[in-house]
Amino acid sequence: MNDLTDTTLAQTAREHADMADSAAPVKMAARDVHVYYGETHAIKGVSIDIDMDHVTAFIGPSGCGKSTFLRTLNRMNDTIAAARVEGQITLDGEDIYASGMDVVQLRARVGMVFQKPNPFPKSIYENVAYGPRIHGLAASKSDMDAIVERSLRRAGLWDEVKDRLTDSGTAMSGGQQQRLCIARAIAVDPEVILMDEPCSALDPIATAKIEELIHELRGNYAIVIVTHNMQQAARVSQRTAFFHLGNLVEYGVTSDIFTNPREDKTKDYITGRYG
Amino acid sequence: MSDPLMPELPSAGGGTIAPRQPTDWTTDAMRQRIRKRYARERRFRRLGLVAVVMSAAFLAFLLVTMASQGLGGFFRTEVALPIDFPQTGIEVDKAALDQPGADLALAGAGLENIVGSAAIAAFGDYGPNVISDNAWLTVREAIKHDPSILDGRAVIHVPASAEIDRAISETGTPEAEAAVTKLQAENAITEGFNWRFLSASDSTDPTQVGIWGALKGSFFTMLVTFLIAFPVGVLAAIYLEEYAPKNRWTDLVEVSINNLAAVPSIIFGLLGLAVFLGTWTLFGHKVGPLLPRSAALVGGLTLALMIMPVIVIASRNAIKAVPPSIRDAALGIGASKVQVVFHHVLPLALPGILTGTIIGMARALGETAPLLLVGMRAFIATPPDSLTDKATVLPVQIFLWSDEVSRGFVEKTSAAIIVLLVFLLAMNAVAIYLRNKFETRW
Ligand SMILES: Nc1ncnc2c1ncn2[C@@H]1O[C@H](COP(=O)(O)OP(=O)(O)O)[C@@H](O)[C@H]1O
Ligand SMILES: [Mg+2]
Repeated sequence: MNDLTDTTLAQTAREHADMADSAAPVKMAARDVHVYYGETHAIKGVSIDIDMDHVTAFIGPSGCGKSTFLRTLNRMNDTIAAARVEGQITLDGEDIYASGMDVVQLRARVGMVFQKPNPFPKSIYENVAYGPRIHGLAASKSDMDAIVERSLRRAGLWDEVKDRLTDSGTAMSGGQQQRLCIARAIAVDPEVILMDEPCSALDPIATAKIEELIHELRGNYAIVIVTHNMQQAARVSQRTAFFHLGNLVEYGVTSDIFTNPREDKTKDYITGRYG
Repeated sequence: MSDPLMPELPSAGGGTIAPRQPTDWTTDAMRQRIRKRYARERRFRRLGLVAVVMSAAFLAFLLVTMASQGLGGFFRTEVALPIDFPQTGIEVDKAALDQPGADLALAGAGLENIVGSAAIAAFGDYGPNVISDNAWLTVREAIKHDPSILDGRAVIHVPASAEIDRAISETGTPEAEAAVTKLQAENAITEGFNWRFLSASDSTDPTQVGIWGALKGSFFTMLVTFLIAFPVGVLAAIYLEEYAPKNRWTDLVEVSINNLAAVPSIIFGLLGLAVFLGTWTLFGHKVGPLLPRSAALVGGLTLALMIMPVIVIASRNAIKAVPPSIRDAALGIGASKVQVVFHHVLPLALPGILTGTIIGMARALGETAPLLLVGMRAFIATPPDSLTDKATVLPVQIFLWSDEVSRGFVEKTSAAIIVLLVFLLAMNAVAIYLRNKFETRW
């Protein structure tokens, strides 16, 4: 039974390994990163390179620190009073925790999609236009219209909503809401997109749409996706990082991780022994 | 194999489990328990009903007494008084009548005596008691309005005296009853809406009083209260919820604010008195009072201190109720803290903030004690024109009138209470409307 799962996963990973270029340039790099929540040591010395134009999946059992580490990449941890980050994280070689770093700009460059779809209780148009507006990315109304349309098209949502852009963003299905959140994130033209279990609140059909979308976005953005679903990691990612109890146990090309894990813990986890 | 991540199930080999015994639901003990349960439910429902009926009865009693006593205050009895001006020998320079000195000219012409004589001529010796002592003021207005009536005989509707009023609504003195019967036979008595009650200010004569001065005072006071308490309260709430670090100091501030909301209002009156009207000696110089006594400005500031905690608490709750996911969403695309607060949190929290503010303002509108302490209990015959004029407010006016000995004030007091209640109910209705209309939906 375990072997069967393993083989299927490995096969999936190999089938999707087409784009995996093992010598891609590095977009973000973390070196010996520790995160503490008060006394809790949630991330214990993680070093990892996030490659440009690839999808990186973070997998691991609940509470192992995937979300925590993801949130260090755009400094969303700053909003948690108890959280403390140590170590170095760079974006294009620039230390994002340096004192001169503008967090607002950083978060525009490193966008984020959350676990639960969280559109603003405003119109669909406003949801997408909000980011470009506060960053001054559109010079005119027609510019803004173009940005909104382009973002919704990229998020695969345009055809479904083009006739009701003034409807509330909260009055859509969960899957549509999540794609709206992705459109909102790409409207500010980020370089990296972080997704924290973007499909965990969605049904299988909506999940499939999001996965398809990630496929299409890959190549333009560095995407990091946290997922609980091994199949999903195998399907959408070219890099996989396995976290366990705050440690990065293994990191590598997805097809390698799923066919030939170096660590026993990784093997146990992806064959469904725990998690 | 012991895997720390896979706790083993307790093994079921310990002992034999007894076979299942079906529960008998029909034993006496069981039946009695059911009866008891039903009795308890009935008892509880009855107690609740009694409580509701009692409060409803109190409310109905209040409304009925106020209405029966006060509605009369909105109407006034008028007597048709014929005056033959040429015969009275009144001498007025008509040209002076459209000038500012008109009142003086008419007073100098002895209008008060002329009206008294006209009443004797029309209704006999009891005549002067039929019309209000201030009836001549109505005549004066009529002349100013149309000087040509001075050329002949005119019938002017003047307010009836308090005695006549009482003889009509209940039973008055025998003379008054007789006069009413006679006047009614002549069709000389009319009931009209008492516009004066809404447009005049305090007076020593109950037939002449009005609430306009007090209403204006209340308006100015509420304006000051709102302009101070709303922005300060909301900003304090935003700071405490969104910016302040959560530590012992903010806990202390939170406890203090909650306690302030429970401090009796008269204490705030003392505070206002000490701070705004007190005098201190600083470096040998006498300082203060900072603000004029009895003014709407001082009353408003005092009430602002009083309702600020209410607004802070309501606003904090409303801000807390905005889901954190909305903040994350905005922060995640690079909104700054201020943008998150003003673009997302405040608009979503605003209905709750406004509801709390209106409830606080309604409390301030009905407040008497602190205003008495800062001197807003003066006799105000001219409505205030600015925030620093001497003023009084509606509830204080009610308090002052309720203290008057003259019988005519009873009705006016109740009438003023009705006006105050109408305002309070309207404010609460707006608060409920806002709450329902903007009830957060996502
Ligand atoms: N806001 C927080 N405050 C304190 N501890 C937290 C907080 N968020 C997460 N943690 C702790 O950090 C650890 C990692 O959590 P998380 O990153 O959410 O795990 P994952 O996303 O992998 O399920 C857990 O032990 C969790 O209890
Ligand atoms: Mg998580």
